[in-house]
Amino acid sequence: MRSLALLVALAALVALPFATTGYVVYLANLLLTFTVICLGMHLVLGEAGQFSLAQAAFYGIGIYTSGLSGAAFGWPFPCSVLAAGLVSAVVGLLIGGLALRMRDIYLALATFAFGEAMQWVLMDWTSVTGGPNGLHIAPARLFGLQLLTDKQAYPAVLVIAILMLGLAILLSRSRLGRAFRAVRESEVAAMAMGVPVKSTKLIAFALSAFFAGVGGGMFALYSTYIHPDSLGFQTTILVLTMVVVGGLGSIAGAVGGAIVFGLISELLRQTPSYQEVIYGLILIVFMMFAPKGLFAFLGESFGRLRRA
Amino acid sequence: MPEPLLLVENLTVAFGGLIAVRDFSLAVAPGAIHALIGPNGAGKSTTFNCISRFYQPSSGRIHFDGLDITRLPAARMAGLGVARSFQNLELFNELSVFENVMIGAHVHCGGSLRAMLRARPPETMRRVEAILARTGLADFHATKARNLDFGRQKMLELARALAIRPRLLLLDEPAAGLRNREIAALDRLLSTLAREDGVTVLIVEHVMQLVMSISDRITVLNFGAKIAEGSPADVRNDPAVIEAYLGEPGLHG
Ligand SMILES: Nc1ncnc2c1ncn2[C@@H]1O[C@H](COP(=O)(O)OP(=O)(O)O)[C@@H](O)[C@H]1O
Ligand SMILES: [Mg+2]
Repeated sequence: MRSLALLVALAALVALPFATTGYVVYLANLLLTFTVICLGMHLVLGEAGQFSLAQAAFYGIGIYTSGLSGAAFGWPFPCSVLAAGLVSAVVGLLIGGLALRMRDIYLALATFAFGEAMQWVLMDWTSVTGGPNGLHIAPARLFGLQLLTDKQAYPAVLVIAILMLGLAILLSRSRLGRAFRAVRESEVAAMAMGVPVKSTKLIAFALSAFFAGVGGGMFALYSTYIHPDSLGFQTTILVLTMVVVGGLGSIAGAVGGAIVFGLISELLRQTPSYQEVIYGLILIVFMMFAPKGLFAFLGESFGRLRRA
Repeated sequence: MPEPLLLVENLTVAFGGLIAVRDFSLAVAPGAIHALIGPNGAGKSTTFNCISRFYQPSSGRIHFDGLDITRLPAARMAGLGVARSFQNLELFNELSVFENVMIGAHVHCGGSLRAMLRARPPETMRRVEAILARTGLADFHATKARNLDFGRQKMLELARALAIRPRLLLLDEPAAGLRNREIAALDRLLSTLAREDGVTVLIVEHVMQLVMSISDRITVLNFGAKIAEGSPADVRNDPAVIEAYLGEPGLHG
């Protein structure tokens, strides 16, 4: 039953570019990108229980790394996407090393501050990033091939998203994932079980930066332009909302949240001035009434209906 | 007497002006069940926290199996074979009973990359199953730790510590709040652990019926200092202990 559903979903994803318009494929690319960023948020917040409000910054580092390395070295895109992830992860290690001395709200504030600082760097390091003029991203390349449209980029985006999903599942089920959850539940007990708490948190943090960075590399595959304005706190809040709406602590929740809430936010694009207020309201409503996320909430409600 | 497995020398712990433990020394023989008793606030948990490396003593030395552990980080202790339980439960509340015990086996799941990537290495699974059976938790595999009753939560603390495959087991009031039947089961379990599995146990406990039944040796703390040490019979009849802690014989359970 479950594998059948997976097969149908996969078939639909493969058939998508043949059956739909360029806009739908663009949207699919974007949703897959956000799915990968949400998987990173899931690892650090959902599994390890550590706040990181700098996901947009890591995403941005990924976009700029990929865009700049593609242009400067003419790298084939798998290399620039990987570079995007790795550069983000290294920055994540450095920032995590500092910020993880704090916890809870202080950790949230420290990572928020880093996110803001990063946006400032992107805006003012004009010689490299183009600053307020934004950056034009050259088309992604693989040997002789160039990815010029959303439809051409889509297969690459889909494959990367599936690989990253596989990686997230593998990590979550591994000894490391178990250590993440131990740290989330009780640092004191985790320590007594031999889990090195500090380095475990740091790995979670760097992994989430890696996922966000790869997300940035994916964005660079189908986009021609990036401006620092779209890498601010509202993007981090969007990712946070997706993960909370989907259900903190489960991979299915992170993926479902990215897709459902990604669609909602696309609908809301016509009303940019209310957007953040609406995100905020949705976030609050979910934290109050469905803290386990949309899917767990629906499951429980149906269960209650059936019993009644 | 053989080389002690645990040797605490002249341990002193100060919290600001308060001296919680004062020049305390202790030797625990391998394979023994050694109890540490005394009134509330005597410094028993503080001593435990120093041995398990959660607190840093103001002065003194701690040796485990000949190794000076006075400055080791707490996360190293499980790897050395030192396990502890917590007086006030510290379970992984949102995780299942099975996962709680699996995390106890964390230090035994490493080795190779392949071992680390496996969700459920078969050999570890078997050990975890055996521990669950032994602690009476076999029927509660998938139950979240927070949903267990109090007695079983206490048992889960112990089960998780056992998954470390400890050579030294530090138990802080494992019987507190348990019913008589549960205390009897704990008594049997700790005795077999020491007699058959060769685990050395250092236990803090107020339930005297358990302490007197299982202990090979008892050390009594009062106001952070040792006031008596010896066999259960010695300690029970020690006037200083009766005065400070036990009260008149027969008054205490
Ligand atoms: N972390 C701490 N900070 C300050 N005082 C502490 C701390 N831990 C214990 N104490 C104090 O040290 C003394 C001994 O406490 P404890 O070791 O918990 O006693 P016991 O376990 O024998 O009941 C008490 O006076 C207690 O208040
Ligand atoms: Mg105590």
